[in-house]
Amino acid sequence: MDILSHLTPMFFALIAAGTAIGIIFGAIPGMTATMAVAVCLPLTYAFGLENGIALLLGLYVGGISGGMVPAVLINIPGTPSSITTTFDGYPMAKRGEGERALKIGIVASVFGGLFSAAVLFFFAPLLADFAIKFSYVEKFLIILLALTVIASLCSNMLMGVFSGVLGVWLSLIGTYSITEGGNGEPRLMFDFMQYYLIDGFSLLPVLIGIFGLTTVLLDAEKGFRDETGQGPISLKNGAKFRFGVFKGQLTNLIRSSSIGTFVGILPGVGGSAASVLAYSQEKNFSRDSSQMGKGAPQGIVSSESSNNALTGGALVPLLSLGIPGDSTTAILIGAFTLQGIQVGPLFIGNNLDTWYLMIIALLAANVLMFGIMYFAIRHIARVIEVPKYILYPLIIMMCVVGAYAINYGIMFDVWTLLIFGVFGWVAHKIGLETVPLIIGFILGKSAEVYFVKSLESYGNYSIFFTKSPIAVCLWVLIAVSLAFAIYLRVRSRRQAAVES
Amino acid sequence: MKAIWSKTCLAVVASAAIGMSASAQAADDCPLPGNLRVVIGSTSTGGDTYQNSSIVVDQLADKLDINAKVDAVGVMPGFQALERSRHGNTVMIFHDGAYLGNLYGVNGYPDIFDKFIVGPTIAINPGNAYLVPKDSPYQSMSDIIEAAGDGKQIKVAIQPGSVSEIGFSALKNAVRMKYPGKEGNIVAVNTGSQADKNQLLFDGAVDVINGSVQANEQYTQLPADDQKAMRFVWITAREQTIAETDEAGMGDTTREQLLQYVTPNVSVPMTADQDFTFDKEFFFLYNKDMDPAAIQCIDDALAEIYDEGEIQQQQKRSFFVPDFKPSQEAASYLKEKNDQYKTIINDLKG
Amino acid sequence: MESQWLSLLDVTIDFDQSHLFFPRIVTWILVVLLAIILITRYRRLVPGLKHAGRVLAGREGDFDHRRFFGTLALTTAYFYLMGVLSDVFPNTGYSFLIMSVLFVFLLSLLYVDRPTRRLWVILVLNALIAPTLAWYVLAQLFRITLP
Repeated sequence: MDILSHLTPMFFALIAAGTAIGIIFGAIPGMTATMAVAVCLPLTYAFGLENGIALLLGLYVGGISGGMVPAVLINIPGTPSSITTTFDGYPMAKRGEGERALKIGIVASVFGGLFSAAVLFFFAPLLADFAIKFSYVEKFLIILLALTVIASLCSNMLMGVFSGVLGVWLSLIGTYSITEGGNGEPRLMFDFMQYYLIDGFSLLPVLIGIFGLTTVLLDAEKGFRDETGQGPISLKNGAKFRFGVFKGQLTNLIRSSSIGTFVGILPGVGGSAASVLAYSQEKNFSRDSSQMGKGAPQGIVSSESSNNALTGGALVPLLSLGIPGDSTTAILIGAFTLQGIQVGPLFIGNNLDTWYLMIIALLAANVLMFGIMYFAIRHIARVIEVPKYILYPLIIMMCVVGAYAINYGIMFDVWTLLIFGVFGWVAHKIGLETVPLIIGFILGKSAEVYFVKSLESYGNYSIFFTKSPIAVCLWVLIAVSLAFAIYLRVRSRRQAAVES
Repeated sequence: MKAIWSKTCLAVVASAAIGMSASAQAADDCPLPGNLRVVIGSTSTGGDTYQNSSIVVDQLADKLDINAKVDAVGVMPGFQALERSRHGNTVMIFHDGAYLGNLYGVNGYPDIFDKFIVGPTIAINPGNAYLVPKDSPYQSMSDIIEAAGDGKQIKVAIQPGSVSEIGFSALKNAVRMKYPGKEGNIVAVNTGSQADKNQLLFDGAVDVINGSVQANEQYTQLPADDQKAMRFVWITAREQTIAETDEAGMGDTTREQLLQYVTPNVSVPMTADQDFTFDKEFFFLYNKDMDPAAIQCIDDALAEIYDEGEIQQQQKRSFFVPDFKPSQEAASYLKEKNDQYKTIINDLKG
Repeated sequence: MESQWLSLLDVTIDFDQSHLFFPRIVTWILVVLLAIILITRYRRLVPGLKHAGRVLAGREGDFDHRRFFGTLALTTAYFYLMGVLSDVFPNTGYSFLIMSVLFVFLLSLLYVDRPTRRLWVILVLNALIAPTLAWYVLAQLFRITLP
């Protein structure tokens, strides 16, 4: 009964406002869901717990969803978890199907979000008990599995793997972080760099440097010749969106949503791995994946359903163990502590009302996200028609805001943006592949911690094979994933040979 | 050329406008900027440092009628920002980790008493605790010390080089005093977040973990047959500190119950006649060149805030123990604390 | 027999040196991969470098020097001056605001081919309004820390 009294118009208004603001944050390159939640956290104190949570969950869902907009329209992922959305989204946008691509993404997002909310509601404590079966060893293997996707995502195996390893290498620059259990000693750099690089390069500036600034540089090099006047891409031509596109996508939706939810549940694996894993599994296991990477709806479906499924998943360990599942939920925990509410294994039992309200808020946020985006998308998609001489300076400006704000005001992060913008341009010229590189960069640090800590505890390399049945299963998955990637590569090469 | 001109003009105009508004904002006798930035030594906005800082900084901003914002930049960027800010535009709030890192010889940690000005203390987080699995054979810290003396290896999960390690060092030191040469049986398992520490306990990879009352209390309420169930063995705070928390304690654990885990009920000797205690205290840090008048101003404002008494309620609600000491007193107090722990850490090294 | 075989895989990591353990492995993999790349592709390396040199020197290919290096120079100046100016106006975001207005305007100007009067107005308005809006919403409403 008490719950109903909380379901005020204010409650839903805050969810709607949160979702809308979140979408805007997600849609601006450089701004992320995490940032949206962080800046609004102090507001929650005034709103009280229930309404505060409503706002934050709206921001979370909106922020993750909004990330697809720049990914599709300008080939710059708005958040790290929408990298894979660019693979098929941008080619579709170039064909004039930007609106269609976005609508596919929205529908996939809402599916993923609702799927994970349902999983959260029905299985949270159960899944939390399963998640704690994953020790350092199993987490390392999950990361290894995520790294194997490089093999299926790169266009040239040798260069792709090299880029991936280079990404891992770059992520290790800095000190072996004490907060991760390291010894705080610097490596892979000279002494004079220590002042700036003591914490290494941050992910977000690296990401928006490589995707955002590099894009600008590549276009600047070509001189924007056809640019004054109309943008080259129009929204007029190209196929229209129909729900029929989801025919035959149910397996994809469920598989990707499950992967997203599960990656969210595992603390410390990193949310961005979700969409990458889901995308490559779709590529490996779908009946026809030959068009993926050239503008296939199924790619957007897997990417977007998995990254939205992350939301419910990441809330599982938060609410049933008191441990955040990703960077955004790490901030959500602050909303509870600010209100003096403990989150831990007894949270759900002790705060049933809050628990139900959170589920309602999560459902409402997804539905509202769908409503807002589906109908606003026609207008949002027009961003693509803004001439680049207007758009690009603003993108750089917003990237600066994002880079500077992600760690609450560090100027070196802005320089990181430039360093990796130029690096991305050079990489492009010499044939390095940026997506494997970023994936390596995202996963590198956790790979190190889990690898070194496993060996520290067990003292033998064989532990990776003998630790548990879960470890064995993960090795099977890694082997299958690699085998498929190689098989697909050989098959497509043969097809190409036949065609020519 | 044209561009440079317009740039200069704009800058001049803007600076004139801003200079006026800034000076208008600053209070009469308080040489503090209208926009104060408070960096903290943690990157988490869900953690105790952020929470505590935001309570204090909000009140302070109200009292001084300025804008103040807490930025969770982390330890090294925090120190760097503080070092650069000669004019007191940036101040820092951090806890005992600030000097413990230096004592443990962690790369990059300066001697804060030398490099910065130590400002007022504001609160204590009394929650620093050590836990064992619910079905652990060790009922108390004495059991652990005895077992180590008996030749048993005891693994303790900690985050190295900070607040999390100091209790571990004290334990090791206690074993060294009672059973010289046996302190090697207390083994650190260095790890990161609370999640990682808990996980090591669930895996059975360690015997004891460092944790906190806030984060681990619910785990102590689980039934014994749950893999996740834990039990407090030691809360490092002083008895008097815990006595000042709310009577209701934390979660389902009352203050009365919490008091069972502090000295003298749990004894980890530091010297022959004194038990080791550790209160995690939060305090301000200032740039060496900060205007003494500004420091005085913050001291005075805080004194007023603490006199009003509302902040104490707010801190207690979040399981902090209010603990205001003005700059000078705080600096000498913390220096003393630093020297005390320095002895323990050095004794263990030698 | 089995335990002998397993002991080959034994490893002890000294905590004080543990920061080098994983980076060493990764560096070696990287070096080996680089060697393979160089061996398999050295034929393409020299002509590639020559070509790149000629393009950058402007003797070959479609390479818009003015816009490419202009972008780089403007961005570098933007970041640098923003840092300098933020010490003048600490914690207000004014540095971001002022530099962004200039940067957005100059970069737009660099990218436009033949600016008409109408275009000038658009560029000026855009450079004034967009950064101000961003500054107001982010620094004032959301209280995000800006340079």
